[in-house]
Amino acid sequence: MNRFATRELSMLVALVAIWAFFAWQEPVFLSARNLSLLSVELAVTAVLALGMLVVLLPGQIDLSAGSGVGLAGAVAAVLVFWHDVPAPVALLVATLGAVLVWSAMGALIAIERIPAFIMTLGGLLVFRGLHWLVIRNQTVPVVEGGSENIYSLLTTYYLPPAAGYVLAGLAVAAIVASALRARTRRLSHGFEVDDGELTFLKLFVLAQLVFLVVIVTNGYRGMPVALVILGLVAVLVHQLVTNTPFGRYLYAIGGNEEAAAVSGVPVRTTIIGAYALMGGIVALTGFMQTAYSGASTSTVGSLMELDAVAACVIGGTSLRGGRGTVLGVLFGALIMASLLNGMTLMAVSPEAKYIARGAVLALAVWLDLRLGKDR
Amino acid sequence: MSNKTVLEARSVVKRFGAVTALGGVSFDLRAGEVHALCGENGAGKSTLIKLLAGVHPHGSYEGQLLVDGRPAEFRSTRDAERAGIAIIHQELALFPDMTVGENLFLGVFPQHYGRIDWDAVYAQSAATLADCGIQLDPAARVGDLGIGQQQLVEIARAVGRKPQVLVLDEPTAALSRHEIDTLLDLVRRLRGRGVACVFISHKLDEVFAIADRITVLRDGCAQGTLAAAATDAGEIIRRMVGRRIEDHFPRRQSTQGRTLLALHGVDVDPPNDGGIALRGIDLEVRAGAVLGIGGLMGAGRTELLMHLMGLWGKRRAGKVELDGQPFAARNPRDALAHGLAIVTEDRKRYGLVLPQGVAFNVSLSSLRSLRRGPFVDRNHEAARTRSIIEDLRIKAQNLEQPVGTLSGGNQQKVVLGKMLLTQPRVLLLDEPTRGIDVGAKLEVYELINRLTAAGQAIVLVSSELGELMGMSDRIVMLCEGRIGGTFDRAEATQERLLAAAMGRLGRAA
Repeated sequence: MNRFATRELSMLVALVAIWAFFAWQEPVFLSARNLSLLSVELAVTAVLALGMLVVLLPGQIDLSAGSGVGLAGAVAAVLVFWHDVPAPVALLVATLGAVLVWSAMGALIAIERIPAFIMTLGGLLVFRGLHWLVIRNQTVPVVEGGSENIYSLLTTYYLPPAAGYVLAGLAVAAIVASALRARTRRLSHGFEVDDGELTFLKLFVLAQLVFLVVIVTNGYRGMPVALVILGLVAVLVHQLVTNTPFGRYLYAIGGNEEAAAVSGVPVRTTIIGAYALMGGIVALTGFMQTAYSGASTSTVGSLMELDAVAACVIGGTSLRGGRGTVLGVLFGALIMASLLNGMTLMAVSPEAKYIARGAVLALAVWLDLRLGKDR
Repeated sequence: MSNKTVLEARSVVKRFGAVTALGGVSFDLRAGEVHALCGENGAGKSTLIKLLAGVHPHGSYEGQLLVDGRPAEFRSTRDAERAGIAIIHQELALFPDMTVGENLFLGVFPQHYGRIDWDAVYAQSAATLADCGIQLDPAARVGDLGIGQQQLVEIARAVGRKPQVLVLDEPTAALSRHEIDTLLDLVRRLRGRGVACVFISHKLDEVFAIADRITVLRDGCAQGTLAAAATDAGEIIRRMVGRRIEDHFPRRQSTQGRTLLALHGVDVDPPNDGGIALRGIDLEVRAGAVLGIGGLMGAGRTELLMHLMGLWGKRRAGKVELDGQPFAARNPRDALAHGLAIVTEDRKRYGLVLPQGVAFNVSLSSLRSLRRGPFVDRNHEAARTRSIIEDLRIKAQNLEQPVGTLSGGNQQKVVLGKMLLTQPRVLLLDEPTRGIDVGAKLEVYELINRLTAAGQAIVLVSSELGELMGMSDRIVMLCEGRIGGTFDRAEATQERLLAAAMGRLGRAA
């Protein structure tokens, strides 16, 4: 417990240090406009990272995620812009396609025993090629110039200020209610709980954070809908991994696959399910990232799989499986998104950006190993 | 046979924690003799040879080792190798993707200015193989050879290092009849050259075919060394079993109901990666009864249980009936759904998700029945897990304590609890008391009594004859994948069970 706290605390210190550094170098980093942009970038990175978590928990990996992001976004953009398909239909078609393709990859991994690393490395190359083929190496906007559709609005719609406050109020109420229910339940089972004051303090800080986000984003154009999408995905994935049999199976397979099989865990179905879910999330991220770029170009999604893995690992997810939480992943994604955003503001060269991202990843894993040694 | 003693152990004592594996064993080996070591599983044979090979280094045991009459202090296996002691272990240590020649010379490659002299490697490999009477191409890839041929390569590798002492631990377990003959010829040839051989085998036929002297071990103590010519198999078995203080086995027999599990003439072929074929398995267990299954290492006990759970092998013939219905499990999930549950021997590998908590592990097999809507009902889960913990007296701080931090006995109870929560009709227990303390053992026995009293059927696999005789209503002994004998509780004696396990029923009993 103590070790865990040390680890979380050190990550928090790292985040504060990163923010302080950028604020010092580029005061505009803390402007409402930039924080609002950062929240959209965070949403895109974090949604994909949450999908990656579901794949990493049973000890698998998805290296094709970044290429998939580009491809799914491209398919939807091409359908909308070149074939005049209504945006909702285009998104649905691309999503279904991604779920199918990822299920197939999952099946090859779980049943045919192709190592996930190799299977998805193949996927990375194939999807990249298909992506370029689909857009014919052109730039395909997600909507006719000057107009809007549900696709383009994914990263450009902002909730009106009042709606932001209402949403924040609802979210805080839900968090408090579920925390209290969990606490009562734990008490009734004689589990350890934090004392009442600490619980109150935690909830109070959390509520303040939620409202702070709303205040800051309202200072620009309002709460970005992308952030709301992230919130929904986070709650969904959290419920899935902690409270359903499927989620337990993910942890069990990652913790000890042989024991899981002997215990009657449907190992294959679970792994295929994890990839199917990843397919859906890849498509969603693809739409958000492509919309954020304004158009599908050959570079959309490039290397995003590595940012997703990095966010998971920084957030304490084990690459060998069996360990990882949604909260940790959100935290890791915030660190990665902050780094990228800050470096862009400072007009750091792309070369240096790559080097910095890589160094942070290695540093985070090393810290995790050092701090997690006695666990 | 010369009378020069090349290797000697003087009253060696080896303890693992509170367990004494060797309790003052003396053993001597002469140049040009084949000296067989006999004993049940866990009698101390492997510990003794590991001591001779430097696996257990000097200082980790009491007593003395002498090589050529001089005290030897092996700090590692390398020291033992330098003293001319070569061991062929049960588990093969070959590199499947390398050739026979590369395997023979790995680590001692003949070199020419820092480059491996491949011509010399293959010329010398061919010479070594010919010398051993093994017909194999030195350029063949080891992974393409059968298990038996691989075993011969392993032996050729040891022989190629020109050892003074050669230790063979169950060398014939995986060999065909023809390969066994090749091996025994090779051992005779080495004996002719003055090499001293230690030969461990459960197959007494082979022991008598090759050994000059036989030392019997029992419970970590030597039961005498006999000249092979002056004794017989019956005498050896009697010494292996001996009379010992009976443990306390509180088996209470309960009224037996209908047959819950029955196997009729079941043949199972092993999967491609090896294992023993099961042939003509007949057995049945009634509600309220315990069927004990015994046998020596590699007799197919674990394989039989794993097959019933849908984890191992392909059924070729025969039928299995579960509560009167034909049954063939596709996977453990299927087996559990039909009321068949297993507690595996290797609980860390097949039983537990070590980093996760007690509740997580106990409920893992029953999550679907603990759902409310799409979610696991935590209250229900906690209540059920708690009742299992109290029932089995699992000592854990709370439901979330990682099972990796529990004691062996409590870990075993967690695995038992997980299976009991699925409410099985037939419970398969594979060495349920291995590596747990006496108190926990008694609790497992009491649990068996309670389960059978409640009408469940239990299949108990055990290597301990005492446990089998103490806890079973009926006992089946397996021998090399076949039934070696079936006994009622009343007619089982240690001698008869062991004779059945060795395939000598009717001769030694």
